[in-house]
Amino acid sequence: MEQIIKQTIQKLSLPEITFADVRITRTDNEGIFFQNGFLRGYSTNLDSIALGIRVLINGCWGFAGTRDLSNASIDKAIHTAISNAHFGSLFQKTKVEFPPLSPVQAEYEHHPEQDPFKMAKEEKIDYLQRLAEAIKPQEKIVHSIIYAAFMRQEKYYANSEGTYAHYTFYNTLPMMSVLASDGAQVQSRTWPGHMGAGRAGFEIFHKHKFEENTERIIKEATDLLSAPTIEEDKADIIIGSGHLALQLHESVGHATEADRIFGMEISYAGKTFIKPEMIGSFQYASPVVNIFSDSTDPRGMGYHPVDDEGVPGKKVDIIKNGILVNQQTSRQIAPLLGLEPSSNMRASYGDDFPLVRMTNFCLAPGKGTLDELIQDTEHGYLLDFTKTWSIDDNRNNFQFTTEIGYKIENGKIVGIVKEPTYFGITKEFWNSCDRVCGPEEWDYQSTFNCGKGEPGQSMQLSHGVAPARFRNINVRVKI
Amino acid sequence: MENLEYLKSLLDIHPELQYEIIEQYWTTDFLRFYHSQTNYNISKETTTLSATIYKGKKSFNFMLDNATSEKLDNAVHNALAIIDKLPEDPYFVDLENDKTLAKPREVKNNIEAIPLKLKTEILSRIAQAVAPHNFDIFGSFVCNYQKYRLINSNGLDKTSENSPYYLEVKAVHNKSQVTVIEAFGGEDFQYFREQNFIEHLLQKIGYCFNDIVDIEPGTYDVILAPRCLGEFAQYLTYGMHARSLDQHSSFFEGKLNQKVFPEWISICDDPDDPEIIHKDYGSNGHIYRYLSLVDNGIFRNFMCDNYYSHKTGLPKNGNTGSCLKIEAGDKTLDEMIGSVKHGLFISSLHYMNFINPKETSITGLTRDGTFLIENGKITKVVNNLRFTEKVARIFEHIQALENRSHPVPFSGNYEIFDIETVKSPHALVRDFNISSSTKTI
Repeated sequence: MEQIIKQTIQKLSLPEITFADVRITRTDNEGIFFQNGFLRGYSTNLDSIALGIRVLINGCWGFAGTRDLSNASIDKAIHTAISNAHFGSLFQKTKVEFPPLSPVQAEYEHHPEQDPFKMAKEEKIDYLQRLAEAIKPQEKIVHSIIYAAFMRQEKYYANSEGTYAHYTFYNTLPMMSVLASDGAQVQSRTWPGHMGAGRAGFEIFHKHKFEENTERIIKEATDLLSAPTIEEDKADIIIGSGHLALQLHESVGHATEADRIFGMEISYAGKTFIKPEMIGSFQYASPVVNIFSDSTDPRGMGYHPVDDEGVPGKKVDIIKNGILVNQQTSRQIAPLLGLEPSSNMRASYGDDFPLVRMTNFCLAPGKGTLDELIQDTEHGYLLDFTKTWSIDDNRNNFQFTTEIGYKIENGKIVGIVKEPTYFGITKEFWNSCDRVCGPEEWDYQSTFNCGKGEPGQSMQLSHGVAPARFRNINVRVKI
Repeated sequence: MENLEYLKSLLDIHPELQYEIIEQYWTTDFLRFYHSQTNYNISKETTTLSATIYKGKKSFNFMLDNATSEKLDNAVHNALAIIDKLPEDPYFVDLENDKTLAKPREVKNNIEAIPLKLKTEILSRIAQAVAPHNFDIFGSFVCNYQKYRLINSNGLDKTSENSPYYLEVKAVHNKSQVTVIEAFGGEDFQYFREQNFIEHLLQKIGYCFNDIVDIEPGTYDVILAPRCLGEFAQYLTYGMHARSLDQHSSFFEGKLNQKVFPEWISICDDPDDPEIIHKDYGSNGHIYRYLSLVDNGIFRNFMCDNYYSHKTGLPKNGNTGSCLKIEAGDKTLDEMIGSVKHGLFISSLHYMNFINPKETSITGLTRDGTFLIENGKITKVVNNLRFTEKVARIFEHIQALENRSHPVPFSGNYEIFDIETVKSPHALVRDFNISSSTKTI
């Protein structure tokens, strides 16, 4: 592969090409799916190779991707990428400026504790079948799912500036869910929630204590059928890590992707309420809130030694003591904002066009444990495990429903509520944060499914978070 | 298709096996533009071979990109090595056995018919038309071409190809950011009328110079544009799948042949409508045919594939809701707007998600042009709004439907980029629940 990518870059050293880069990915995917205790699907897509060529000609990008690495196919892709740039430049007012960068060489190989592609298939199936058996339909439980997705990707990157990177990683998505019904309504519980993926192999099932939590989700889903809803208009809420990761993702992560400032995502993913003049002064959040983008931490799925346009991994403060100080950027966009590129350009597969994406997008830890935070709360709710999420075109108005809420009275959990729903405006919400738990509660929460771009790309990324408390939040929504 | 034949030959020597093999070629030319200029041009192509092998009630699936005989030998070897050790799915009975072939039709490759040069010329003219109003255009102009062949051990052997195109233009005012949308898509580019497209866009732009206001949460009479009603219909069909019924998540459980909506509501899945992107085959290669879903307010059919037909006992049809059509009513759009004293015109929706699919409760937002209607006229621009509603209740509350249906293209943006059309009229809906304002355009 190294030879192919370097030969391809060599073929792209043409006078008309200002900049070129090439990505090759070799990806293994495996999925195992149990429904109601029975194996419904075991699928693999192994050794999937994808190549993408991006060229900048006459100030316009052209791109071509293929999954055929024959010489003829690569030559065709080169020709198509160049042709696309030429024709694209016929409809252009402003040429893309792309400041040069020094070349970088990088290698990295991630080793999971339990390589899911080397484990015997029987071993995986046996373990998952035991889980499936434990949560299969029983009493009020009418439907259940066990799901595991394993991915290994080897990525090669080279550009016309001489940068070359080669790295390999494993990501795993584990999930179980149950649905309870009393005939009239249904309620669900999942474990470990929608952000339960991680940079790991099969060991992630043990880390998340799946076996120890089967009874819990069955009981909670069943109890939710007879649980009350939140009755007050406003309340203090503590958001658990699994759901807080999504709150951070939607209302800060996507909002600070700088391509949105320039309207590059209007046609699908949307815009942002952030304007360039806000950077450096906008009180995005309360002073206890510090948020950063960190592609240098190999524990998260957003780690890379070099991003998909040759920028070395970086840790960049986005919100410092509540003030918006930076953005997630690309080499094209950063100079337009007077910023340095933040190493956030990523493409899901080799034949995808790189976009500004989150890497490891994190809320810095504060102080204290979750138990201490609950004890410090007179009246409120601990919300966790995302059920529904929605945010507007400008990343300003959000509404979330979690699977379960734990009612807090005088520092103690006294019961549960079903489908707790809260909504707010991004700035007001993050300015209402008065406490973030400490390093002992901080960990990565990760997803396989962050959608952006057209044609769509599903990105795998992480959020480091600890539970946090938000005061006086709207928690009553009439349906 | 040599790889498919080779894989078939590898599997046919094992008479104890059943199998389904799909080979698919997909390519796209994707022009994305912003601020009235190219953002990037993408060309991509993939060839994928997917096989699901069954031994009794045990199954294993593998997929290969750009398969070779060596890769196929390995994949089959690995599948046979594991399949006996897998647990059974007791609900698997048999593979699809519908051998009905679709009527042959001529498919023009729109990647060739609408080359990049033509796309940039069309976009340049649209951009020039909106520029005097201080608007720029943003969006995408896409052409796909795909063909596939499906065979299975029950003797099915089906091929299909299509080549949809999709133009979506958002015109955004450079100062106020007020946005309007116009989209067109289908299979035959002859249906595209550039001048009509521009006129519709300019007409919508005409509404954008009024004051921008916020409104209070509450219930409003609303006019839903065809793309909004179409999108709500797509969410409604979640509960019309036999799979949802089997998973106890269907709103339509126990409602077959019962009146669920007013008698003026009829929804069908119609691949033969010439303005809808055609589909030859549905799930597992079953012929794709017209299916009535809601007929004069009465729920008529679940969409059901071979597996869930065996499991639930419902008749199979292979429909997937990919060719949805909401029948037109008897009012003109002007009559409908004219009948609203104080309400909203909603052009497009954003980021919807179910809160509880069985109850069809949902939240989402408006975008790309929300307007206030006062005394029968569009008078102001409204900030984007959040709604929290039940989709079934929206259909129950439809007061009137426009006397014509419009094809609206939608992109399926995960996995392979796909394009579908929904045909829908404008609708007047009473008591639509606006739950908060975004306070932004």
